Amino acid sequence: MTKTWSELYTQLASEAKKRKVFLAGSFELTARCNLQCKMCYVRHPANDKQAKEKELTTAQWIRIAEEAQDAGLLFLTLTGGEVFLREDFKILYEKFMNLGLLINIYTNGTLITPEIVNWLASMPPALVSITLYGASRETYQKVTGSADGYDRTVKAIDILIAKGLPTEVKTTVIQGNKADFDQLHNFVLERNIGLGVVNYISPSREGCNSDPCGNRLSPDELLNYEIHMTKRNEESREKNGSKNISKLEDAVSEVNPPQKDIKIPNENSDFAFRCQVGSCAGWLTWDGRLIPCGILDTPETYPLLTGFSKAWEELKQKLSLIPVCQECRNCQYNSLCERCPARLYRETGKYDEPAPYLCELARKRVEYNKVNRI
Amino acid sequence: MKIKEGFMLREVAGQWIVVPLGERVVEFSGIMTLSESGAELWRKMEQSTTQKELIDTILSEYNVDEETAKEDVLEFVNKLKDKNLIEE
Repeated sequence: MTKTWSELYTQLASEAKKRKVFLAGSFELTARCNLQCKMCYVRHPANDKQAKEKELTTAQWIRIAEEAQDAGLLFLTLTGGEVFLREDFKILYEKFMNLGLLINIYTNGTLITPEIVNWLASMPPALVSITLYGASRETYQKVTGSADGYDRTVKAIDILIAKGLPTEVKTTVIQGNKADFDQLHNFVLERNIGLGVVNYISPSREGCNSDPCGNRLSPDELLNYEIHMTKRNEESREKNGSKNISKLEDAVSEVNPPQKDIKIPNENSDFAFRCQVGSCAGWLTWDGRLIPCGILDTPETYPLLTGFSKAWEELKQKLSLIPVCQECRNCQYNSLCERCPARLYRETGKYDEPAPYLCELARKRVEYNKVNRI
Repeated sequence: MKIKEGFMLREVAGQWIVVPLGERVVEFSGIMTLSESGAELWRKMEQSTTQKELIDTILSEYNVDEETAKEDVLEFVNKLKDKNLIEE
């Protein structure tokens, strides 16, 4: 009679995809952030008045949430920017919780205080997902521009865990923190929680003076990172008997729940998106557009102008016109390639043109597996 | 008897589910899935009702004999009681 979050999610997502119901949504509450990460796709300064003025109001977010709930929304991710910069975060969260939504909070953790943790514990989210950008103050300074951010994030993680709130740590690997994996791994092992690794850095969605491509790992570096990560996980599993990743293929999956889990197995489909985008998931931007996902802001529709249901219908219709990349579909490295229309578009400006960065990474993975008989 | 306040019955993608609202999440962190008839009973129990009325609901909506309806209602009510979801 009762189910866990993930069991229910898998069951509902599969049905929602068939029916094209808007089951999972991300609300990007703000584009502003108190950290200035070098690889970020949306990071206006925390005190950016213009960006703040363009953000949806409390009433607008509530209206969208109510309409989206009517359309089927159950799994809601609150993301930014940094969500705790919103002065009305508490009002929005409580309203969303009372709409019967299951909420994931994505945050950098630096603004989480003991008071906020106590308040969250009174109506806990499904998950607090904190990105840890490195394992020291030095790395934080390099990656985020704030050495103090490290201390504040670690403190937040520890008080969340102490209070028994469901907490996940993930990291985004770039040049500035690639040497920190072992320390990050030790950090989560000591706390008995998981570590998700976001391995793919997309070219920037919005011009906000970051430099994602200049900071991401080369395909060679990324493969080596993945190999190291896999080996270390295997070692720790042998030592601790813990459940961990065992194959390279598992190790390289991007951590971006809830939108990545269910894939359409039918490679012959004319629908370009193999994830949940356009089937049962979408993304609301800080300025009120309904878009496919965090890295792809085209096509877009306007729920505040048309109502949510119509905006969702329009988005699905527009996405159905996006072409499949035939060259990718027929590629021999297809199986270990993390392409999608969003990534191809960001990398090449087209939905159906192979992206050299992704091609090279996929080829290297396949060749590595061949040599090592994985 | 009546279902406690702070829960929402929803139909999502063809599945009936019950989610705890706000502070109810602390005591009930799972999600319940219900069958069509379970949802029917739950809706009825959102207002004050009796076991007899629940059995009548099943008998009027489904083609089952009284004995089966009684057993099903009793099982459903007991499950809710086990989870401390009912105020008498």
